Amino acid sequence: MKLTIPFYLHKVGAGFPSPATDYIEDDIDLNSHLITNAPATFIIRVQGKSMVNVGIYDGDLLIVDKSKDPRNFSTVIANINEELVVKTLIKEKGDSYITSGSKNISDKINLTENPEIIIWGVVTYVIHKQQ
Amino acid sequence: MSSINSNKKNKIALIDCNSFYVSCERLFNPKINNKPVVVLSNNDGCVISRSTEAKKLGIKMGEPYFKVKELVKKNKVHIFSSNYALYGDLSRRVMKTLKSFSDKIEIYSIDEAFVDLSHIKEEEVENYGKEIRERILKWTGIPTSVGIASTKTLSKVANNIAKKNKTGVIYLNKNIDTYLKNFYVSDIWGVGKQLSKLYEKNGIMTAYQLKNISNTWVKKSTNVLGARTVMELRGIPCVDFEIEEAKRKSCCVSRSFGKKVESLDKLKESITTHCLNAAEKIRNDEQTTKSITIYIRTSPFDKNRKYYSNSITIDLPVATNNSLELVKLAINGLTKIYKYGYFYQKAGIILSKLREASENDFNLLAPIMEKKSKTLMQAIDLTNAKYGRNAISLAQAGINNDWKMRREHSSKIDTASFDFLPEISV
Repeated sequence: MKLTIPFYLHKVGAGFPSPATDYIEDDIDLNSHLITNAPATFIIRVQGKSMVNVGIYDGDLLIVDKSKDPRNFSTVIANINEELVVKTLIKEKGDSYITSGSKNISDKINLTENPEIIIWGVVTYVIHKQQ
Repeated sequence: MSSINSNKKNKIALIDCNSFYVSCERLFNPKINNKPVVVLSNNDGCVISRSTEAKKLGIKMGEPYFKVKELVKKNKVHIFSSNYALYGDLSRRVMKTLKSFSDKIEIYSIDEAFVDLSHIKEEEVENYGKEIRERILKWTGIPTSVGIASTKTLSKVANNIAKKNKTGVIYLNKNIDTYLKNFYVSDIWGVGKQLSKLYEKNGIMTAYQLKNISNTWVKKSTNVLGARTVMELRGIPCVDFEIEEAKRKSCCVSRSFGKKVESLDKLKESITTHCLNAAEKIRNDEQTTKSITIYIRTSPFDKNRKYYSNSITIDLPVATNNSLELVKLAINGLTKIYKYGYFYQKAGIILSKLREASENDFNLLAPIMEKKSKTLMQAIDLTNAKYGRNAISLAQAGINNDWKMRREHSSKIDTASFDFLPEISV
């Protein structure tokens, strides 16, 4: 899994090739930028449209770091009833909840009251294809 | 300030992944948590990994799949074909996580590693083991057992005990003999079938008895390895750490056919593919080969058909890692051993007498030829690394490989390939 893009020091111009292309600095390395802890980071493909309201679309790639602890409003992968799902984690008055990210409060699940729910990992980036 | 070389006690941890292949399958498929699960070997032949639940049903390690099919059906055991791409990636992740604790680790197999913890204080070592276990579980999702003791052999014993322990971690530094009295001689690391037979014949049934055997008897009755094991049981380290991954001396690629193969053409395809894979492997390690062996055989268990098995070894005048050259020789060899009218079950090649590519023989013609082919090989390897294995291949390898492995129950997930990423439904 290697994602690198050559990174040039000069501006893009039309016409005459710049002699500065001899000074290619280094490749931009998306791995080093998007992945801080490689052994704990997994890429998972999303199927379905129910998380559109939090900016996750069908076919998107989630970069998931299992070593991270979730913060307030983290997007997380959770194991609920032996199924992996994408949820938003909310912290309120010392309690943690997971929701589907909608304003609808009714789908909030209290994690302290449901210890069988396990946070599998924290979504650190979403890769969405534009064209 | 501490005094120079304070007499530090040796502490070696063996970290072993629990039912590793099953744990890998469970990572993205939690539905099979707490259920009986079994992973089968290549071609769905034998049971090679079992969950605790499957063990309890009486499914044995190494048992042929057809023998347990009834049991599987009755108890709704989840079956998986081996998915080595996934297991390999998760193994690398586990080992990398271990390296975040210490550089002094020896990767012993795909799911086991020794770590030197001698620098950790006596009273902290068990907690340190727990930390290792927790971090591996959190980062990779793979449960492990950690056994710590003063020698490798004892750490293996400790690991065995840790597997049955609630916390999954044990530091074997006291009451060692109590444990050794309950430990079968045949379960000791390094004691094979032959050796345990010899021990048992002489009344040595437990690790404790072996530990207290006389030196002269061991030296007389076994070999150096046997004596080493005894010393290790006594807490005297005799097996060194092998941190550097030693370069291989031979490279073998073989597969059983999913469907038995009769025609020479199909065998040629398979041998060519194996040859290309092996050549790429040794090129990656900057090695060359001086000898190539090709072998084919029919199934020894097929009672209705005649058995045939043959092999041929070709020594090369000049060491090489050139795919084209190797394939040519391999096909040549295959044609010599192929016999018409048999149904072949397995074909493979072995590259041996491997050496560093840099220490090649002096040959007047070689440099010019070599430079040309080297550039070509590099181009092939780069393209295949970029666009997936076998993006560039030889036409000889065939395009429609219907001889390929049977993998009926594969999870088809590869965490290290964009084409087979795990998916999540939202």
